Order: sequence, then C-alpha cells, then structure tokens
Amino acid sequence: MEFFRYSRSIYGGSNQLIGASWDLLPWFVGAAIAFIVVHALLNALAKHRAQRSS
Amino acid sequence: MNQIISGEPQAATGQTLRVIRHTALDRLYHWLMAICVLILMATAFLPILGIKFEWLDIHWVTGVVLAALIVIHIVRALFFQDWRNMWIGREDLHEIWRGLARLFGSRTTPPKPGKYDAAQKLYHLGVAVVVLSVVCSGLLMLLKIDTPLWRRNPYLFSADTWGVIYVIHGMAAMTIVAIVIIHLYFTLMPDSWYMLRAMVRGWISRKEYAQHHDAARWKA
Repeated sequence: MEFFRYSRSIYGGSNQLIGASWDLLPWFVGAAIAFIVVHALLNALAKHRAQRSS
Repeated sequence: MNQIISGEPQAATGQTLRVIRHTALDRLYHWLMAICVLILMATAFLPILGIKFEWLDIHWVTGVVLAALIVIHIVRALFFQDWRNMWIGREDLHEIWRGLARLFGSRTTPPKPGKYDAAQKLYHLGVAVVVLSVVCSGLLMLLKIDTPLWRRNPYLFSADTWGVIYVIHGMAAMTIVAIVIIHLYFTLMPDSWYMLRAMVRGWISRKEYAQHHDAARWKA
C-alpha cells in the first residue's frame, strides 16, 4: 500500500511528490466503520449493564 | 406554526413548550455546508472510483462557496453568537472521562452537558481542523487553474511545496469521508433523533431539554 503518489520529473532524477495515495480511501472508510462497530458494541453493553442494575 | 416559548426551564413544563436549539440561520448554514461537502466528495471521489465526468468546475465553485460559508460562520460564531457553547472546558473533560468509564464498564453517570456535549465539541473541533485544512489547501490549488476571476500561476510555489499542498488536501478529504460516515451514524442513532429534529425544525421540547441538558450550563 502506498501512502503518497509520485510522478517522475520531466527533468529526470528523483520522483516528484504529487499527492496522497487514493489507495488509502478504503482504509479511511474502514476506520470509520470500525469506530462505529466498537462504539455500538460498547454502547449496547453499557445500556445492558444499566438495565440489569436498575 | 410552532409555539416557541423561552424562559426558565423550571418555570414551564409540558410537551407543547419548546426550546430553540438551532435558529433558522444556523440550520440553513448546516444544510448548505452539508450539500457543499456532499457535492465536493462526489466530484472528488467518483472520478477516482471510475465514474468519469467533468468534475473540476463543479468542484472548485462548490469549494469557493464552502469557503465563503465558513468565513460567514466564523464571523457569526465569534461576534454574534456565544462561542463558549462550543468551548471545551474542564467540565467537558470530566464528562469525557466519565463517559469513557461508563462505556468500559463503570456505573458512573456522566454529568449533563450544556447546549452541546463534550463529544459534539470534540467533533466540531476535529471538523474545524480538517475542513480548514482542505479549504485552505483547496484555495491554494485554485492558483493552478484558469477561471473567469483569475489566471493560473502554478509557479508561485515549488514542485515540492505543491506536492505537500496536494497531500494535505487529499488526506483531509479522505478524513472528511470518515467524519461524514461517523456523523451519519450518530445522527441516525435513536438516542439522538431529537437532535436531528432540532437540526431540521429548530426546537427541542422542554422535556428533552430537562432530560438531556444541564440548565445551569445552557440557559434556554
């Protein structure tokens, strides 16, 4: 997986940084979904505990 | 027409009494910003995902509109609204700590928030940083295109600097995708439907106000 996009300079030499890699997009979406799943689970557990103790 | 009654919360009770949470102007700002962000996301990422169309003009014009909206919002928030409603203070840190403890098994109850809870304030701070990053980098990137208003000048920065600007724009844009997904999740949670209604119609009931908010921290 690449973090950045590069292009070769027309003058030769080293690669030129041209932006973030779009390969990262699924990882950002995945991080959001993971956050939601963890929050939903912990929230459900907290509600379950609150109901049981009341 | 909705009956809007303000005053001391303990002085009035009942389902028909309503507290204004978001004025019409605030709601208009929120939804215009949402439309802009969705258009910007579509014009940015659909071509990358293989759906090709002439995206650039729609993208930069919408970006300029979003930048103007943000400037208006900052001026309103600083000079015409109570910016302290969104300020993260000691009580909010306490609320975050007890909220996390509750999520991880503690029987502690977090204190009631003011107008916005600590998570909403943190979210706002995160959105502010990310959106300002994407808008500022985007405004600089406008120097690379000809528009009816200005001529392109791509030589203002070195190639390396342009690369960094593009990285900031791309990373912030992908972060916004994650932020929008999380925002939709919290919006659609049954516990927060009353806040979604407030963002559509402007009000919450006195009962919701008493149930979810500390009257000392948000005097409505």
